[in-house]
Amino acid sequence: MKFALIQTKKMVASLILLASFSTFSVLANGEVGEHVNHLTANLKKYEEEVNWLSSKTEGIIAAYQKSGAKAAHAEALMEHWEAVDFHAAIETNYVLIYASIWQGLYGVKDSIDNQSPIENVKVEQAKLEKALWQALGAVKMAAKYQDDGLLTKVKTTVDAPKNSIEALAVIDTNLHSVVAKYAEKLIDTSTNMVHDTYLNLFEGVEGELIALDASLVEDLEKDFNVTLPKAIKEQKSVEQVREIVLAMTQKISKAKALLEKNAKNKKAVF
Amino acid sequence: MQRRTFIKTLSYLGAASAFPFLSARGFAAISSAIPVAELPELKGELTLYLGRGEGGLYEDVLDAIKKRNPNFNLRIRRGPTAALANMIMAEAKAGVSQADLFWAVDSGAIGQVVDAGLAQKLPGDLTQQLQPEFRFSHWAPISGRIRTLPYNPDRISAAQIPDSIMALPDTDLSIAWAPAYASFQSFITAMRLIEGDKATTHWLKGMKNKTKQYAGELGVVMAVERGEVDLGLANHYYTLRLKSGKPDARLALAFTKNDAGCLINASGVLALKEGKTATDFIRYLLSKEVQTYLSTEAYELPLAGQLPTPAGIPNLAQLSPPNVDLTKLADLRPTINLMRKAGII
Repeated sequence: MKFALIQTKKMVASLILLASFSTFSVLANGEVGEHVNHLTANLKKYEEEVNWLSSKTEGIIAAYQKSGAKAAHAEALMEHWEAVDFHAAIETNYVLIYASIWQGLYGVKDSIDNQSPIENVKVEQAKLEKALWQALGAVKMAAKYQDDGLLTKVKTTVDAPKNSIEALAVIDTNLHSVVAKYAEKLIDTSTNMVHDTYLNLFEGVEGELIALDASLVEDLEKDFNVTLPKAIKEQKSVEQVREIVLAMTQKISKAKALLEKNAKNKKAVF
Repeated sequence: MQRRTFIKTLSYLGAASAFPFLSARGFAAISSAIPVAELPELKGELTLYLGRGEGGLYEDVLDAIKKRNPNFNLRIRRGPTAALANMIMAEAKAGVSQADLFWAVDSGAIGQVVDAGLAQKLPGDLTQQLQPEFRFSHWAPISGRIRTLPYNPDRISAAQIPDSIMALPDTDLSIAWAPAYASFQSFITAMRLIEGDKATTHWLKGMKNKTKQYAGELGVVMAVERGEVDLGLANHYYTLRLKSGKPDARLALAFTKNDAGCLINASGVLALKEGKTATDFIRYLLSKEVQTYLSTEAYELPLAGQLPTPAGIPNLAQLSPPNVDLTKLADLRPTINLMRKAGII
């Protein structure tokens, strides 16, 4: 119960955080759809979609149990997930769980493809179910914030950040998206996102930041150019990549605090 | 025996008089930068297309101008410099031009717009405020950055560094560079324009086996400081910033002479529509206060008046940048082709 409370608090904090930065959301999966700007009106549909996905997963696992891996067509799991509107609703609002859903989908698919014992497949199914329902909870919470005017309208184009602090917010979001894309097994996409985030965003920040904390910049330089791309290239587990990203986002938070403090002491132009 | 043109460790910051052998070149008498108190009040509305700048410092400048001019409304469209240049040209072609001004971090993008005939001629009294080598009829450079050779004094001495960039492949130095980086590619473009394609290809091939690649130029400077290599190729401000955050960093700066190795590139602004407000807005960017702010906060070289360069960089009169039309640096395609041909990227 205590754990659930902590998770909820974390989720609320993340949603508020995302609300402030969502103007800069970058989505890699094509059209988002206007429904994401009307979450409350679509909650019923999203819930139906989650139930539908659960039943489809159940059906695939039943087919596996009865007729084996080939007959199960586990690859259809991804097609089903791509087909639902709920996909965009969670991707635009809580990319951390979005990554867990992909991780769950591949957990089920891979365990079937590898002809794992049915008990193991059901363990993966439970992880997927948990991620899906957590995601629905996150979208419901986002809907409430949206109704209260606390979520910025989701844009399908990207505005350039106005300063280093805004750039760090985009970097934070992009890094979580890297995990999501990696969980989708989009290796090139996630590698390019790391590279682009470094060159187009972090590179513009580090000049200001290095004057405040040179070793922090040195650490992040290594994370962006060696640690994270190497983990992706070597196809480490999603958990390992997530761990690297979480460590990076902690450093990004530290950088943000330093830049905010510095902004208060900045010399006036005139 | 290699002779150094100019070399200076950062522990001797600002000691320009220590280098009497340097000759002034081209930076003759110019007017002083104008204090903002002497500028006319801005009135009305302008739309500025702003290419990505140094952190939020350009935004700080714009906020300060807006605050000082309550009867002036500035609408800003932000984006990557090259994308905005393309947008300006596309809008002009479609007859739906929106921008009054374009402030770009890269003079190459400015050149594209000027070459397309879209920039307004600037008044002579405005361009006279700039250093003579940075006076252009249709755009105004705002601040500059110089190519440098940051080196690690624990690994090499100043005397080991040639004063010609073209001589670097003939040394036994290990070198860090960032070929994918835009500033590096502008530097190679300048080399191509000065030395020609053949010599540049030869230089790139000669450098290939003695260089270590990094993603960005701050990475280059940090690698030099860590002692991974002897020296690097990078814009000047990375070294100054690193020294600011880490005063005991093992770094010093060297400059070549009269070649692409000490190219001064500039950010710049141009007016796309006629009007006093747009011209006066440019005067604010060239004001003493804005120039000083960009120099002290962003470590950029002030190009208006006779303001001091950032600590650690000699005055412009003591540097010997090559004569290159900065607006031609946008011509990157032949540079990329040449770098590919040399197996660099």
